[in-house]
This record gives sequence, structure tokens and C-alpha cells, in this order.
Amino acid sequence: MNIVVLVKQVPDTYSERKLSSGDHTLDRDATDAVLDEIDERAVESALQLKEANDGSEVTVVAMGPDRATDAIRKALSMGADKAVHLSDEAIHGTDAIGTAKALVKVLGTLEGTDLVLAGNEASDGRTGAVPAMVAELLGLPSLTHARELTVDGGTVTVRRETDDGVTVLTAELPAVVSVNEKINEPRYPSFKGIMAAKKKPVTTLTLADAGIEPSDVGLSAAWSTVTESNPKPPKSGGEKVEDEGDGGSKIAAFLVGQKLI
Amino acid sequence: MDFTESDEHRDLRAAVGAIAAPFGGAYYAEHARAGTECTELWHALGDAGFAGVNVPEEYGGGGGGLVELALVCEEIAAQGAPILLLLVTHAISAEVLVEYGTDAQRKEWLPGLASGRRKVVFAITEPGAGSNTHKLTTRARRVGDEWVVTGEKYYISGVDEAEALLLVARTGDEGQLSLFLVPTDAPGLQKSVLPVDVMLPEKQFTLHFDEVRLPASALVGEEGQGFRQVFHGLNPERITGAALCVGIARYALSRAARYAGEREVWGKPIGTHQGVAHPLAKAKIETELAALMTRKAAWLHQHGHPAGEAANMAKYGAAEAALAACDAAIQTHGGNGVAQEFGLLPYWGLARLLRIAPVNREMVLNFVAQHSLGLPRSY
Repeated sequence: MNIVVLVKQVPDTYSERKLSSGDHTLDRDATDAVLDEIDERAVESALQLKEANDGSEVTVVAMGPDRATDAIRKALSMGADKAVHLSDEAIHGTDAIGTAKALVKVLGTLEGTDLVLAGNEASDGRTGAVPAMVAELLGLPSLTHARELTVDGGTVTVRRETDDGVTVLTAELPAVVSVNEKINEPRYPSFKGIMAAKKKPVTTLTLADAGIEPSDVGLSAAWSTVTESNPKPPKSGGEKVEDEGDGGSKIAAFLVGQKLI
Repeated sequence: MDFTESDEHRDLRAAVGAIAAPFGGAYYAEHARAGTECTELWHALGDAGFAGVNVPEEYGGGGGGLVELALVCEEIAAQGAPILLLLVTHAISAEVLVEYGTDAQRKEWLPGLASGRRKVVFAITEPGAGSNTHKLTTRARRVGDEWVVTGEKYYISGVDEAEALLLVARTGDEGQLSLFLVPTDAPGLQKSVLPVDVMLPEKQFTLHFDEVRLPASALVGEEGQGFRQVFHGLNPERITGAALCVGIARYALSRAARYAGEREVWGKPIGTHQGVAHPLAKAKIETELAALMTRKAAWLHQHGHPAGEAANMAKYGAAEAALAACDAAIQTHGGNGVAQEFGLLPYWGLARLLRIAPVNREMVLNFVAQHSLGLPRSY
């Protein structure tokens, strides 16, 4: 089975994230960059499928600036076999639709893909739309928000979990599956994995290499425009409740006031 | 000259840090206080191949060397989990067994060392012979097909956690040193805890060998070559000891910097004041200097160059830096510096111990005076 995992390098979730003052895009230099946490789980899912199906191969696809190689190397050190990196300055500011179009072109450079895996949303943009858009553009079944994933012969089954409920979805391969943050605990890269990662093939593509129209990507092609942004206000002191035997009801009243209960 | 760290080493640091972080200071301090082995961390490090980075791949290890082992020691310590026993089990025992062990000995012990599931500790020091190996008196006599060991060992770490000891004993008419693998449950071997007031997961032991019988196959390497073989493990012990100190210093300084940045007195964070900031800055400088020498020493050893001078200097500098960092961190925390909740004293105790072991500060100064400066030997 040929499995492709779409991964993204994002600012460290635990750092203070900022937007650039000029074009209101993510300021990638302001923070440490890491492989997105849910994407790590998508890589883990791919590796588990590979281990259960002899002769499988896991390819990582990433789109991002030069330093996204660090995120790619992390996926390779976990055990993925090879990678394709779309790296071109012109993709700066690309929105979800442009990202999906570009990824589809990159996927087109790979042959015989049976399963495309992705995290259901990246921790920076959080549109949560790219996997479904990729499936739509490829004309493949889209199985999103997977909490569980199994492949049996040519059939993929997922347990889809959202706020609306649980659904079991089944489709014929090839298909696109996005996983949620509960699907597994990703493995740590092992020492052997780290040493092997550097030797694994990484193909770097420009827009032209992948056959992507420059007019489909970049900030100018984005369907939405950010006109203004402000840093979130500092945390205020909050409300102190003195317990005079009625602490419980005061807390309940506070939560009712916040419409939390 | 190139000071860029390779991608592999950066990734190795990050991966080891990610494994050790969930354990961290709370886990370590709890085990140090209770004097219990950090079993879960040993297993986690073993499972990801980091305990055995310097064990060859054919024995289940990572196939790396001392540079990588030193990185592992530094990074676990930097997350607040400095496992002292790695210096013994992996820097000494694994290095010596890889170099001098028989095929059967390697097959028996290296896979377990690599997985973090089995330990081989090291028994050299005696009540009458600490730094002075010439005074060792423990003896192994050859009787028929067996070796019979009598003698006493002192300050032997982690015997209760280990399945075997790498023992240094005198053999033959000349009384040359030889190395033996001794099961820790060997009949005639009496183990007594030597109580220490340092909070450590590892316990110290006094060992009495009363006619302990070993098969001929227990000999490691060549009979009478123990002195040379032991030295193959002592530089790695000093270098990983230095790396552990660098990590301890990093941990203490990160804790102190956070506290000094958050704790406000008279409307300003206490780190604003130079009386608080400068000791931390000084310890930071000393830590970075020690880290550089530690990497140099590890590199020299790994590439087969003489590493004695660099290993000694690294160990000296790193222990001093760790102690200064812990002391400054405790002082920064005021009364909280000794509170269990902040858990800093176990690191101070360990850093203080590492000024004495694995080679004490004065013996390093003797070495440098004699070998680096050509001064007359003082002892």
C-alpha cells in the first residue's frame, strides 16, 4: 500500500504566536517551528498501517518554507520512507483553497497512491478544510475526523467523531482520511530513526516543478483578506470568590452568568 | 572550524528531551527523595534506543558513540532527570564490554544494556583505595577452572539495580589488575547499603567478597591488562559526568530564570536586580564554557584521540558550573529554594557529589599540573 501523509510545520503551540505587521500572515520567525501535533498522529497512523501491511511505503508531503525540512525530517525519523517538499517563496500567504490545489498537484507527481492521510486541522490556521478540499479536487472519497482507522484489502473504514456524533464510514481505496487528535499516541523518533532520516530521499519541488499555476497560490490568490489584526488582550485578574459557606452557589452563579452551565 | 550542530544531533537532543520532559523534575525529585530507581525512564530511554546509543547495532544498540551518549546524558539532565547510573552502566560497562568483552559476554549483556532493562555496574574503589588504584587489594585466585575472589569494595553505585558487576581485582603472582563479570547474586558476595545523605535514586554499597567463585569465562579481556582496560571506561565516565553536570546546570538555570522573571518584590521581578541576575549570568557562562569542553572531550574520545586532558578539564568545569548554577538557583528562590515543592536540593546534592566523583576536583588539578603544565608530581 502506498500511503501519503500531508504534514505541516506550525509555530510551537505553546509559544506566543504572532502575525506579521505588514500582510497579517503568520510571523514564522517569531517562534520555534514544529511538526503539527495532529499531523504527527497522521504519520503514526500511516506507520501502523505500513507495519501491518508488508511492502507498504509512507511518503510525507509538506508545503512550506525552507525550514519546513525540520518537520519533514521529524516525520522521516519517526519512520516514513521518503518526502516531497513544495518550497517556493510564491506560496507565502496561500489560503486553504490554494493549499488544496497546490497539494493536489504535488500528489500528482506521486504514482499509485492508495491512501492520503492528514491531520484534521493544523494548529495555526485551524480552517480544518484542506483534507476535504483535497479529496474533492482529486474526486476521491473524503473520510474526515477519524478517531479510528482500519484498512482491510481495498476498503478503508473509519470511526468519525465530531461534536455532532459518531459515524462509521467505509470507502474503497484510494481515499483521503483526516485523523483527529485522539486517534493514537505518536511514537518518539528512535536513535536509529534519527540517524536514518538524513539518508532518506527528499524531493524538493518549486511551483513550476509541480505544475502549479502561480495565479492559484499566494496571498494575492487568497479568497479572504485580513485588513486588521490586534494581539489578544492580556489576561485580566479574573473574579475572586470569597467562600463564606456559600462558595458553591457563588461559583454556580458565576458559571451561569458566563452561560457555561 | 565549524560549530554548527548537525541535524542528527539537534534531532537527538529534541527527541531525548521529549521523552524525558514528561518525567521531568517532579518525577526525578520524588525518586531521589525515596531512593528508588527511575525504572519507567530507563525503559522509555531504552525503548527509543537512547539508553544504548553507544552499543553496536548488532547487539541491539544505536551504533553511535560517546558523543551521542553524552548528548543523552545532558538532555535528560536538562529536563530535570539526571540518571547518574548511566555513567556507570553505559559509559564504563558498555564501553569496556564492547572493546574487551568476549563474544559470549557481549551477547549476554549488551542487548539488555541497550534496552535499559539490565544493568552492569562497576566495582573498583575500596576502603583503602579510592583515587589510588595502586592500593587495590581485592584478589582473584585461579583455582582449577575457576576464579576465587576475596576482598572488599566500597562506594559501589546501583548494585541493587544491577544483575552483574564489572569487578577490578588483582590476579597472578605479579598482582596485575584484571576485570571480571560477577553476578550480583553470586554466593559469597555480601552487599550492604552504605547510607549517604545525598538524595539520589541510586544507592551506594559496600561489598564483601568471601571466596566468591567465578567460572573461567568471567574474565573480561586479557588477564593482567585490567589497568589499561579500565582506563578505556574512565574517560567516558568523566565525559558523561561532565555532560550530566551541564544538563543539571541548564535545568537549574532555567528554573531560576523563570522564577526570577515571575517573582515580584516591590513591584519588579527580582531578576531585575543585579544581585540576583549576575550569579545566574555567571553560572550560565561557566555552563556554556563547560559544555564546549565536554563536546570536545567526547569528540576526541570517539575519534580515538587522547582525551584524558580534555575529559578531566570538562569534568572539572562542568561540576563547578553545575554547583554554581544550583547554588544560584536556590538563592534566587529564597526560602522556596529549600522547599520540597520546588525540588532544587536534590540537584545541588548531586552537583556537590559530582565535584567529588567520578574523579575529584583535586585529582583533576593534580593531573593538569603534572601533565598539562609539566610540574612535579605531588604524590
